[in-house]
Amino acid sequence: MEHGAQAQDREALARAEATIAQQAEQIERLHRQLEDQHLAHDLREGLSLAATAARIAMPSTHVQLLEMVVRTAARVIAARAASLFLLEPGGQEMSVAVALGEKANEVRWLRMPVGHGIAGLVAATGQPMAVADARSDPRQASDIAQMIGYLPQSILCVPLFYEEQVIGVLELLDKEGAPAFSATDMEVLGLFANQAAVAIEQSRTHRSLAALIGEVLESLTRGPEARPRGLQERLGAYARQIEDDPAFRQSLELAQLVREVARQGERELKACQGILHSFADYLRSRPELLGGWGMTP
Amino acid sequence: MIERPPAWGLRVAADLLPLQAIPHLDEITREWAWETSTGQGVKVAVIDSGIDAAHPAVGGRVGGYVAIGEGPDGLTYDTAPHADAFGHGTACAGIIRAVAPECELYSVKVLGPGLSGRGPVFLAGLRWAIEHGMHVCNLSLGTTRKDFFGMLHELADLAYFRNVILVAAANNMPIPSFPSLYASVVSVASHDVKDPYDPYLYYYNPRPPVEFVAPGIGVRVAWLHGQWITTTGNSCAAPHLAGIIARILGKHPGLAPFQVKTILRALAANVAAPRLDGTRGG
Repeated sequence: MEHGAQAQDREALARAEATIAQQAEQIERLHRQLEDQHLAHDLREGLSLAATAARIAMPSTHVQLLEMVVRTAARVIAARAASLFLLEPGGQEMSVAVALGEKANEVRWLRMPVGHGIAGLVAATGQPMAVADARSDPRQASDIAQMIGYLPQSILCVPLFYEEQVIGVLELLDKEGAPAFSATDMEVLGLFANQAAVAIEQSRTHRSLAALIGEVLESLTRGPEARPRGLQERLGAYARQIEDDPAFRQSLELAQLVREVARQGERELKACQGILHSFADYLRSRPELLGGWGMTP
Repeated sequence: MIERPPAWGLRVAADLLPLQAIPHLDEITREWAWETSTGQGVKVAVIDSGIDAAHPAVGGRVGGYVAIGEGPDGLTYDTAPHADAFGHGTACAGIIRAVAPECELYSVKVLGPGLSGRGPVFLAGLRWAIEHGMHVCNLSLGTTRKDFFGMLHELADLAYFRNVILVAAANNMPIPSFPSLYASVVSVASHDVKDPYDPYLYYYNPRPPVEFVAPGIGVRVAWLHGQWITTTGNSCAAPHLAGIIARILGKHPGLAPFQVKTILRALAANVAAPRLDGTRGG
């Protein structure tokens, strides 16, 4: 029982990390834009701590929702595999948010430019598309096919619209029990995608750690009027940035480990704390070794 | 009291317009409408992802190119020959070419990698086509952004008054998409490809959101690298009608959009003209 729960947690964590990693580029840009490096430094530790705690306390409902969307679509339409692509900010790239099927693990980490393959085309035109004989042209039918060696026979791909914009693409591969997806399948999936897009967008706003951190900060400080002009905006940018900080992700991982240990009981947690304290004491007493530990600057 | 009529009223009154002879509605036939026409002399713009001229379905003949892009100083218009970014434009061009083999295809490339700036690029592509003497524009794409509703409507009206026929794929998604919803355009949705495949089999639908229904389900279309795929989507339906219109205009140049629609409606497979001998028109 416990092992199962731990495995689930680890999986959820891995996914959370993936989500975070996907925004690395944007963060890099924000990072450069952040003028007040002192503010950034001062906030880093505090925010890391707050965010770590919040992330762990919060079940990864967004990821679960995305999975549910894809799983339901694949089951209703009877598809062997399915992927959900979400558009990255700027609209130049799509990343795989959820992948189901025998090659799901290979697909899960993919990012691709919007101008690629059937999914990219559907994102670009906003028009759903079905391909019946994809295998006859694996080069064009699916980038995924090319990358992982899974050659779908049939593809059904529909756009996800939210507030008149394409936010992603839902792609089903290989219709079960038929050579191809039908026009009815397309219609059903289109309706479904519309509902799913709304759910995804609503969930996304709650998922945003940046928003959460903003709230935390709000409650910690005396109120927005006490802050210098522009700080509010910078805080927001920084909060988004920190989500993708490798240091933040490391601390997240560490916190997850501690949480696992804590589950075992009070004594185990105490022991863990003791070990960490001792190790930290040891390091403090050996400053010449610090450089070797690759601490994040 | 009124000393003179409004200026534009005076001008209209002074003009004498030629009246093109069109048969009675119940006497319009395919033979009259497009037989012997190959679409020669008709310029058809494929506003899409580009056209691969080398694809056998296109046959190496693309009359002109323009790729709209976004530069630091605004939109750019590159008229050098270009490739197809997705295969989508080639698919549309191949269908049009199959129906109207001698029409002049123009590739207006507005789709490429990335989605940012798509709306303005799309609008610029459509405007370019209208202002560069195109007779038919195939739009197997559209926008769902209401921000563009007004500007796109203006372009659709401009096309209407310049006798440029816009053929727009209706969006299969339950979301309003433009310009296919405008009354002045020829909007097209899909029906199943029958066996044998008849590219001329289309239907008329008097109710919104779509006016015509053409083959778009399970259509074998040209794709990148000389390949072919079997695909489903309204994107494939629109070019069928674009091709038919090219043939009509090849035989009857100068028809206004409402006249073209009249002919299309009369020849739709589900529109029957009552006749004394009991047969249907078309």
